[in-house]
Amino acid sequence: MQFTIPILHSAVTIMTPLLLASMGGLFTELTGMLNIALEGLLLMGAFSSVICSHYTGSMVVGTLLGIACTMGLSAILAVVTLNLKSNVFITGLAVNLLSAGLTVVLCFSLFGNKGVVVFDNIPSLPLLGTPSLARIPILGDIFIGHSAFVYLSWLLLGICYYTLYGTPFGFRFRATGLHQEALSALGLSPNRYKFFAFLISGFTCGLGGAMLTLNLGAFVPNITAGKGWIALVIIFLGNKKPLGLLLAALVFGLADAFSNYAQGALQVPSDFILALPYLLTLLAMVGSSIYAKKKGAIES
Amino acid sequence: MAREKKLARKTIRTFVREGAAILLILTIALVWVIILSLLLSKTPAKTLGYFFLGPLQNTYYFGNMLNGSIPLIFGGLGVSLAMRSGNFNLGGEGQIYSGALVTTLCAISLAPLGIVGAFLALVLGALVAGALAGVSGFLRMQWNTSELITSFLLSNAVVLVVNHLISGPFLDPSTSLMATRKIPEAFRLPLLLPPSNLSMALPIAILAVVVVQLYLYKTKSGYELRMTGLNPFFAKYGGIDTRRYMVLPMVLSGALYGLGGGLAIYGTYYASIKEFSSGMGWNGLAVALIAKSKPTAVIPAALFFAYIEAGARSAMLHSDVTFEIAAIVQSIVFFLISSEVLLNLFTKRGKQ
Repeated sequence: MQFTIPILHSAVTIMTPLLLASMGGLFTELTGMLNIALEGLLLMGAFSSVICSHYTGSMVVGTLLGIACTMGLSAILAVVTLNLKSNVFITGLAVNLLSAGLTVVLCFSLFGNKGVVVFDNIPSLPLLGTPSLARIPILGDIFIGHSAFVYLSWLLLGICYYTLYGTPFGFRFRATGLHQEALSALGLSPNRYKFFAFLISGFTCGLGGAMLTLNLGAFVPNITAGKGWIALVIIFLGNKKPLGLLLAALVFGLADAFSNYAQGALQVPSDFILALPYLLTLLAMVGSSIYAKKKGAIES
Repeated sequence: MAREKKLARKTIRTFVREGAAILLILTIALVWVIILSLLLSKTPAKTLGYFFLGPLQNTYYFGNMLNGSIPLIFGGLGVSLAMRSGNFNLGGEGQIYSGALVTTLCAISLAPLGIVGAFLALVLGALVAGALAGVSGFLRMQWNTSELITSFLLSNAVVLVVNHLISGPFLDPSTSLMATRKIPEAFRLPLLLPPSNLSMALPIAILAVVVVQLYLYKTKSGYELRMTGLNPFFAKYGGIDTRRYMVLPMVLSGALYGLGGGLAIYGTYYASIKEFSSGMGWNGLAVALIAKSKPTAVIPAALFFAYIEAGARSAMLHSDVTFEIAAIVQSIVFFLISSEVLLNLFTKRGKQ
């Protein structure tokens, strides 16, 4: 059983970008929009924050600028979707396509390279944790000694919970998805809340993406590899509730950490391991829809 | 009679207006090619020249461009069929890739059967791809699982499995390429415009457009499919088995993608090369969106996309930009193509 603790420890790291992206996606989902752009926003966050860190020489400034770029992209998405009245699904695809293309094009014109770009001037992320806490058996081994992103994501989850359930702003958010007309009747603009939701998605995806590349000190084309889509499923599995997100993200973190381990220990082809998150997601989707249907059948 | 004439004139007018809006969107996308070249290229004039004129400069490039439109026509038709029935098929990437692999493997093992074998291999490839999409349709019918997400997830997993099959069990050790063995010479489609890649698959693609058009507008099943897509409740109360049209259009859609993949093998690649079809599925979707799910409009939409890709490829070969600028241009199209504001820009308000 010695390997379980490292697996759990890396699960906490792996789940963090997923948790962050799904938190932003939760806001768009609650306003009634299926935000498939999470994938592209994460990728943009990953790319822009590592590039900005490289040029400014500071990871903090780089991350902030990366978040700003990602929020810029999400603002474009919001304007096109809301003001030009486009299908959110198709504009979301556009964001994914744009991020995939733009990151490679910019990598090529900045570094003359379409593959992996390693940045030597980016140090590895400092790991936080006091020795006294780390000495707590098991829990200390699992939860202490992560980068600031991990603890920041927990803090944001708390803020997200409070905002949604404890402030008028949050109530209006949830009302936008439930009954848009009620909001209009109060003289409030549903589109304003939808716009905010997109910006929040941009913020959290920028942060989540930054963690992906700053952890590596490198940019790899398509580094997100479906994480944005999994974040979307986490929203559904988490039943569109902040604490549900945490639980669902943990499940995916564990699955991913375990498959990383299995790849090394067992002789399973790496492509199958890579396919595993998608198949698990699929199973989870089917399971939750069977559950929803049964529940609906009982209620009606 | 007068009424009919008026109706016909009105149809033409809507057609022109819709066409004008789509042309505007495509023009905006092409303007971005100019902006990107000015920003990214050290020799923008050269880049633009190769981008816009490269695909048309000789029969080789022109034929290759036409050839590039073939899988897009199949993909566009597939997505259109699904969208017409109110379904979304996002699994084109996996369907085209698996269809191609199955066709390749079957073609190799069915070689002794001659033309019958070639035909069977194509059908089997289309069936596997169709079944793949059908799974998503079935899940939606049974438990109301969003076919949009399941088809995408399944396709992503399938792409990885096919990658493994090509680079593992079915790898041809005699080449340095990550590819399967080649299909028998007798199965390869004749070239139409040598030295370009353009093959007999083009007339087959056009035939497919005709067949889909006839199916949608001239058969009972096609009518029921369209009704289900327009208003599932109306269709259901009208006695149409709407559950059937959650699965059938998805199967047909996947099968068209698979056929596109199989024909790409017969006409162009002759072997399943790792990731050869990457991007074709998404472009098929874009084509269907530009064509607004009309089969006849799929051909010009596919040509437009093939032109952008061929232009980007030619600019990459002869100038200093990379091929991925095509993806940026395509994303601009995606951004704008569903905009109600832009699409209704040329319709007079308050007058229906």
